Amino acid sequence: MFDVYKELWTRRRMVHTLSLHEMKREYAGTLLGFAWGLVNPLMRIAVFWFVFSIGARAGRPVDGAPFFAWLAIGMVAWFMLNDGFRSSNKSFRSKRSLIKNTPFPIAVLPAVQILYNYYMHLILLVVMLVVMAFTVDSFSAYWLQILYYDFAALMLLLGLGSVTAPLVAISKDFGRFLDTVLVFLFWMTPIFWSIDNLGKYAAIIKLNPFHYIVQGYRDSVFFKVGFWEQPLYTLYFWVVVFLLLILGNYLYKRMKPIFLDIL
Amino acid sequence: MSVAVSVEHLTKKYKLYEDKWGPIKEVVSRKKLHKEFLALKDFSLDFPKGEAIGVLGKNGSGKSTLLKIITGIADPTSGKVSVNGSLVFLDVSSGIDAELTGYENIFMKGILLGYTKDEMLEKVDDIIEFSELGEFINQPVKNYSAGMKAKLGFAISVNVDPDILIVDEALAVGDSMFRAKCMNKMNQFKEQGKTIIFVSHDPNAVESFCSKAAWIHQGELITYGDSKLVGSIYNDFMAGRRTIEAIKSELQFIHAIEQVSATMTENGYSVQVGGYLYGKNETEAKSFELLLRDKRTGEYRSIPLSPAPYEGSSSLPESVKKHAGFSATVTENQLAGLLKPGSFVFSVRYRNEENQWTEFPLRSGAFTKMDSDSQEQTSGRFLYKMQVAASQLNLVVDNHDKVQQQVNKMWFEGNLLHVEGVAFIRGYETKTASDVSVSLHLVNMETFEQKTYPASMNETEEITENQAFNPQGKNYNYSQFNAVIDLSKLEPGQYESKLTYVMKNDPYHEFLILVWASKGKEYPSETKIIGDREIEIKTGSKYLKLEVRNHGYEEQ
Repeated sequence: MFDVYKELWTRRRMVHTLSLHEMKREYAGTLLGFAWGLVNPLMRIAVFWFVFSIGARAGRPVDGAPFFAWLAIGMVAWFMLNDGFRSSNKSFRSKRSLIKNTPFPIAVLPAVQILYNYYMHLILLVVMLVVMAFTVDSFSAYWLQILYYDFAALMLLLGLGSVTAPLVAISKDFGRFLDTVLVFLFWMTPIFWSIDNLGKYAAIIKLNPFHYIVQGYRDSVFFKVGFWEQPLYTLYFWVVVFLLLILGNYLYKRMKPIFLDIL
Repeated sequence: MSVAVSVEHLTKKYKLYEDKWGPIKEVVSRKKLHKEFLALKDFSLDFPKGEAIGVLGKNGSGKSTLLKIITGIADPTSGKVSVNGSLVFLDVSSGIDAELTGYENIFMKGILLGYTKDEMLEKVDDIIEFSELGEFINQPVKNYSAGMKAKLGFAISVNVDPDILIVDEALAVGDSMFRAKCMNKMNQFKEQGKTIIFVSHDPNAVESFCSKAAWIHQGELITYGDSKLVGSIYNDFMAGRRTIEAIKSELQFIHAIEQVSATMTENGYSVQVGGYLYGKNETEAKSFELLLRDKRTGEYRSIPLSPAPYEGSSSLPESVKKHAGFSATVTENQLAGLLKPGSFVFSVRYRNEENQWTEFPLRSGAFTKMDSDSQEQTSGRFLYKMQVAASQLNLVVDNHDKVQQQVNKMWFEGNLLHVEGVAFIRGYETKTASDVSVSLHLVNMETFEQKTYPASMNETEEITENQAFNPQGKNYNYSQFNAVIDLSKLEPGQYESKLTYVMKNDPYHEFLILVWASKGKEYPSETKIIGDREIEIKTGSKYLKLEVRNHGYEEQ
């Protein structure tokens, strides 16, 4: 049932090295290199902060956390989910020439993309947390909980990537469709607005597993809430991840002979 | 014999849709909306360990599909592949990332092949040295030339030391020095008992480098065996000399000419051939005819070949020994005018299920035994040579000497065509009209019927006085011939013209040659119409030919 993931585990070194190569590749030829991986998201956070707090005058503190810090942590989490999902679902398609010419275990490709994005995310996260440690007064041991949420996010992305990558490899339309869904999710996940604003409809938004991660980041940094304090939501999240992983394993096996031919 | 790669009953099917919605419509309507394309059809082959095996086939024959299935890049629709040992697939661009530098690519590719970073660190110096890239190794690969990319790819692939190396046309780029280096490296591989699968559409490369070869055509394995033999069959096919059907039917039979002996008898040149011939899948003897065919014109004579017990030294299966042998003698007289200067091939033919003749040349090679007398006979009307070339036995017939000749003029007179020309042989003096006789022949290219027109010899100083032709100052006064062809008696058809030159004095040789006519301006260019026929003189090939057509019939 988990053959693909067993293979990933045995080839974890390969996944790691390939994801480092992916980073080199992405910034090869630029003078600033990885710095671009930092500049771009920081700029986006700044723009959103400007639009929401100055432009829309919505910059009130959220449950006691300063709006800018609250927004920034949410977006850091979101960037990882968004970028990891985007590049993993296209992983077979974007590495087409490699797949067509080189015999190697292609099952690692979605994981390589996820890990690459995670490494980029780590750089941003560390920078963010260092800044926060000096500016926000909520520094606590709960910050370590971010490691748990990172693990959860990686598993969620692995599940989503395994399910969507074979489908995108078969159908370009599906890839376009997923891009559209992501834009929708970006606004529907409470990143700029607090879920409290929704009142009784909050439960529906909570079904989105992305929210579990974004909320978890904020709980760890600002609100000192442990994941064990909401056991049902945690259970729900892991059931979703588990089902995605099973489905991903099945789809990969089923679709591989097909997408090898039509890629 | 241990096997490096074994494939059994491989079939690869591609679905071709005309409509991009086809796959979805098919699921919904449960109707078949695609055409099937079979890239491989029930393909089985064992690649033996420690050999270089060539895979031949033209573009689109399925050889790349086969490689992709062996390497695991593609999955077969059905069938089984088993690979014993580590495998590297070498093709020009595989696993090379244009954005990264050569150095980074070495690691990238090594990791894709399953090596760790430390293992690659040990190999990296060898690879850089082999690749001859020098300081370019730290440049991005996108700045490399095609040859440099190939060098890098090849250097990585051979230096990671795989058990099985698959090479796909990769040596086509790169300069000849580097190619030689690659060949060397691959030869080392062979000596180490490693297996190389070499894919190419060039039979010469396969013959020179591989001991075994397989030929794929339209997804089917046509034959597998000695690379020289497979290469020569493949060459025949690619040059259009033989059809795939003829080759396939030939390959159902196992045959060889094992001994040849030729002598000169009162019936002229006589040759006796012996060997074996039997069907792979047949227990009964088939009735064959032995054929001697003129390679240029296609004219042939055949004699029935009766099966005989095989008594030679080759190890044939016991079940076929009692009928697999053959032995046949053909003489010049029996061949009734077939033997004339040209090249002839020994073939056999039989009637297939549809009662059509199927013909193939008998296999010949180093195993064909011939004494020196049989190789060349000089005492007959012509010179006769037996040659083994491209796995076939050829009889080459030549004139004893070269006849210099040319048609100077031609003109129509009523229904007659006058042909005036010169013919002489260096060193053979023609002082009087009785020293020589010449006649002209017209041969119908379809029926090979021959009409003969005696020529009269006339005196001319054209040759005797020409320093270029006659530096020794000999007498060639009677070298002009005049012949008259009665066109009204020619049936429609294509005719080529020949000339017989007979020495009336010692050494009394007779020569037969095609008539040379290269002075186009001196010949009538218009079509002659006689009754319901039209006659055209054709000298485009520099040889004199006539075409006779029914008047009003437009040739296509």
